[in-house]
Amino acid sequence: MAKEKKEYKKVNWKQEAKLAPGYLILIIWVLFTVVLLGWVFAASFSTTKEIYQGNALKFLSGFHFENYAKAWSGGNVSTFFMNSLEYSIISCVLLIIICAPAAYVLSRFTFFGNKFIQTSFVSSMGVPVIMIVLPLFSLISSLGILNNILANKALLILLYIGINIPYTTIFLMTFFSNISRTYEEAAAIDGCPPRQTFWRIMFPMAQSGLATVTIFNFINIWNEYFLSLIFANSDKLKPVAVGLYGMINSMKYTGDWAGMFAAVIIVFLPTFVLYIFLSEKIIGGVTGGIKG
Amino acid sequence: MKKNKSMIIIFLAPAVILFCSIFLYPIIRTLVMSFFKIEGVTDPIAEWSFMGLGNYINLFKTSLFRTSMANLGKIWLFGGIIVMSISLLLAVVLTSGIRFKKFFRAVIYLPNIVSAVALATMWLQYVYSPKFGLLKSFFTKLGLETLSKTQWLDNEHKFGALLLAYCFGMVGYHMLIWTSGIERISPELFEAATIDGANKPAQFRYMTLPLLKGVFKTNITMWSVSSVAFFLWSQLFSSVTADTKTITPMVYMYSKVFGAGNSVTEHDAGIGAAVGVILSICVVVVFTLCNKLIKDDELEF
Repeated sequence: MAKEKKEYKKVNWKQEAKLAPGYLILIIWVLFTVVLLGWVFAASFSTTKEIYQGNALKFLSGFHFENYAKAWSGGNVSTFFMNSLEYSIISCVLLIIICAPAAYVLSRFTFFGNKFIQTSFVSSMGVPVIMIVLPLFSLISSLGILNNILANKALLILLYIGINIPYTTIFLMTFFSNISRTYEEAAAIDGCPPRQTFWRIMFPMAQSGLATVTIFNFINIWNEYFLSLIFANSDKLKPVAVGLYGMINSMKYTGDWAGMFAAVIIVFLPTFVLYIFLSEKIIGGVTGGIKG
Repeated sequence: MKKNKSMIIIFLAPAVILFCSIFLYPIIRTLVMSFFKIEGVTDPIAEWSFMGLGNYINLFKTSLFRTSMANLGKIWLFGGIIVMSISLLLAVVLTSGIRFKKFFRAVIYLPNIVSAVALATMWLQYVYSPKFGLLKSFFTKLGLETLSKTQWLDNEHKFGALLLAYCFGMVGYHMLIWTSGIERISPELFEAATIDGANKPAQFRYMTLPLLKGVFKTNITMWSVSSVAFFLWSQLFSSVTADTKTITPMVYMYSKVFGAGNSVTEHDAGIGAAVGVILSICVVVVFTLCNKLIKDDELEF
């Protein structure tokens, strides 16, 4: 497949032939990813017996949609999914509103405490979650928040925002400090107050950074495992990662491999569909304004 | 300047206040906890008993903890070399004017959007499966008998299998960071270099790499942070909680504090806090070294 591509390119564009090794690397990598995900996808329509015989891709007994029905009814997939969606979206929006101004100020102005805040953020970024979990756990359980669904949800969102603040801020700082100061100087000469300069000029200019960091935050929160494991103790509150872990474990013990792969795909597919939509946004944001 | 002052305060306040309540206070409290013997996480301060550095000394006397630190070191170093080189290679290829770039990039990043639980299950139950696994059928097709019969998840291969699967999941993330860095370099610079007769490898060596110093630091920092929090993969790859092949400090700490383990009998939140402090120190050291060794040029491009 790779070779065909190479020759095809050579005939049409000499320029592309030089890139052949690049194509080869990418195709091998992509092929592996596709095989990995594709096989699991196919196996989720097969039966456990056929998977064991190595016939997962042949569908000798047709497509088994009942794997999905079983996985769906066996766990609270829809609840997990809606929970994750709610947590991720709310947290991501609030994170940008909170962190972008902070990152801008930290990267642009010299003031007392600037270096200190930066150092604190960076050090805390490397702090394992369990460093903050212990005191929060004792505090939260003494307040009785874990018994109230709504309060527990708000708490989880607050935690997701909190743990991502340092990372988001530091990441955005790199973007703001890479934007030339001449834009602000021009805006100041034209009489634009600094606060408006930020929202009208710097904020839109950093959009590729904002998009990238939002995607990273979204994925991080979507797949967040550790905090949810400790702080979401009811099935009504669990996000997909923790929910899936429980489902997979039970499927493993019942020996229902086809059902287990179906469960994996159920959790994977919505993110995948979402990703097709979001990745276009990132790519537009990251490469926007750069020609070629 | 006065205008700026009010703006600085308004812009910073929400982030700093949240940071203090969710990070600063718990961290300080955890730091204090690490010097005490605390049996349950929820125990009131009155029941803590002061240990001094006792928790730290005990930790380094525990062979299980030393093993977990060694595992973490191996993951950080070997995994780091693998992930950094592959992700930089892919980023350079992607930005070299290749066709279907969006498609390739999207597929390479794809594993990162999959929940780690799902991804690890795919590797464990499919790629490494001794009955119908990808590696087994691949090596069988090539006629490599011994390789196809290898038990990838036995004690001898488990760590390598874990590392490989983890790296595969991490490459896309770091590739995106590299790519966005490379793309911020003005294409005019490369055009000028091409006109001046610099070939692609020379451009990469003398232009791309020096201009990517800042991005490299970001990458190393992110890699260290995610390595230190290595928990879920280890949990999924081991049938028992305290598997010496795959245990990491985070897993050790979790079993010490929340007692999910079967080999750890005694709960101790103080020890758990001390592990957290040690891991934090590791990251700060890596970051400081990076800052000392890689000087940021005041380049605007």
